[in-house]
Amino acid sequence: MDAFRQAMHLLFTLDPELLQILGVTMRMSFFSTTISCLIGLPLGTLLGTHSFRGKAFLKKLLHTLMGLPPVVAGLLVYALFTHYGPFGSLHLLFTVRVMVIAQCLLITPVVTGLCASYMEQSAAGILETARGMGLPSGRVLLLCLTESRTSLLSVVLSAFGRSIAEVGAVSIVGGNIQWKTRVMTTAILLETNKGNFSFALALGCILLLIAFVVNVAASWIVKEARYD
Amino acid sequence: MIEVTGLHKQYGTRTVLDVPHLSVERGACVALIGANGSGKTTLLRILAGQLKPTSGTFSTPQPVLYLPQRCYAFRGTVLQNVLIGTKNKREDALSLLERMELAPLLQKEARSLSGGELQRLAFCRLMLRDCTLLLLDEPTSACDSHAAELLLQELQRYRAAQGCTVLLSTHSRAVAAQVADRCLLLANGRASALRSEAGTQCEFSFD
Ligand SMILES: Nc1ncnc2c1ncn2[C@@H]1O[C@H](COP(=O)(O)OP(=O)(O)OP(=O)(O)O)[C@@H](O)[C@H]1O
Ligand SMILES: [Mg+2]
Repeated sequence: MDAFRQAMHLLFTLDPELLQILGVTMRMSFFSTTISCLIGLPLGTLLGTHSFRGKAFLKKLLHTLMGLPPVVAGLLVYALFTHYGPFGSLHLLFTVRVMVIAQCLLITPVVTGLCASYMEQSAAGILETARGMGLPSGRVLLLCLTESRTSLLSVVLSAFGRSIAEVGAVSIVGGNIQWKTRVMTTAILLETNKGNFSFALALGCILLLIAFVVNVAASWIVKEARYD
Repeated sequence: MIEVTGLHKQYGTRTVLDVPHLSVERGACVALIGANGSGKTTLLRILAGQLKPTSGTFSTPQPVLYLPQRCYAFRGTVLQNVLIGTKNKREDALSLLERMELAPLLQKEARSLSGGELQRLAFCRLMLRDCTLLLLDEPTSACDSHAAELLLQELQRYRAAQGCTVLLSTHSRAVAAQVADRCLLLANGRASALRSEAGTQCEFSFD
């Protein structure tokens, strides 16, 4: 209860550091989710609606990547972007950008895999009809996506959920730098380690609140059209 | 013109389609009849390029339009459904829907249509596009006799305009007699005795 009061206090006094952390968190999660979905949804639809050689292998690979531990993804990206790494000259380490890159590595397989299995189960009727109408394959793909948008919303939301809740990759490549790359989860971790339990809990409450607001907003955006 | 040789479809070890030879001349309208599970849908889907045969070859003129047995309504209104992927067809669509007596439903959400209304809508979606081969899987199965009449009239009109070849499956002898030049009886599937006897296929004229 104390934590909740503290959370409200932090929010309503517009604590500048909290606002900054919130900003970074939202920016990171927004871009990670958007990029992962822009890649993963079309890819998943393709995978779920076409059969080709090596598909079974590709799906196994995808399922492995879906279970990729965040710290491993973080390490991998760290190795790529560290000063002497292949992309070291870009000087991206410990920036929000590289955090987004690491998260995309984590989330894109999840989006692709979930989307593919959804399409495999339920896109048959759409496909048969759209192809039967002689529509070009790009158009068929687009129809599959738009027709399933309410179901795909939960895929997008779980991507967002994974992004905003993720701490391992983000703390490795972001470094939890105050005023720069600190996000909600890394802040919570830090405060907990410092023994500031109620403050950490307050941050946790706010994180939960954000997740709730995003869910409500998203389901409002793709609200089902009511029949006449 | 459709040419089929040695077409064979198996699921596991079960043969569901076995057509040694079939040819349909250009511009003809052939009705495919046969009991449930005799392979009508399987044959149509193969010809539509939506199902791979286990073996055999076939050639079909392009482009092909195919009406699946189970109709699907896309999101949006009836008019939007008909216009998907077309350009400058609004006028044509309006008069087509008028002829098919769907005009009162123009702005209705397509997914709220009744079975017969949806079947007519799915048919209309094809009638706005050009093709040289039209494959219809039980196009009147959900229609009442009046709606079926409208649909067949529209089909004749489309055939006259396009000069396309038509292959349609049906359980109604009346429908077959009304539009088809000839019938093709598929009799395989369940009874393996029938399959080996008749080679799954017998043709007869309908006059
Ligand atoms: N994916 C599948 N796996 C296994 N068997 C299948 C599959 N699809 C179809 N079959 C079988 O193939 C046979 C032929 O099916 P098909 O749909 O072609 O019949 P049909 O002549 O169209 O029947 P109906 O008049 O009921 O529409 C059926 O016995 C069916 O059970
Ligand atoms: Mg059938």
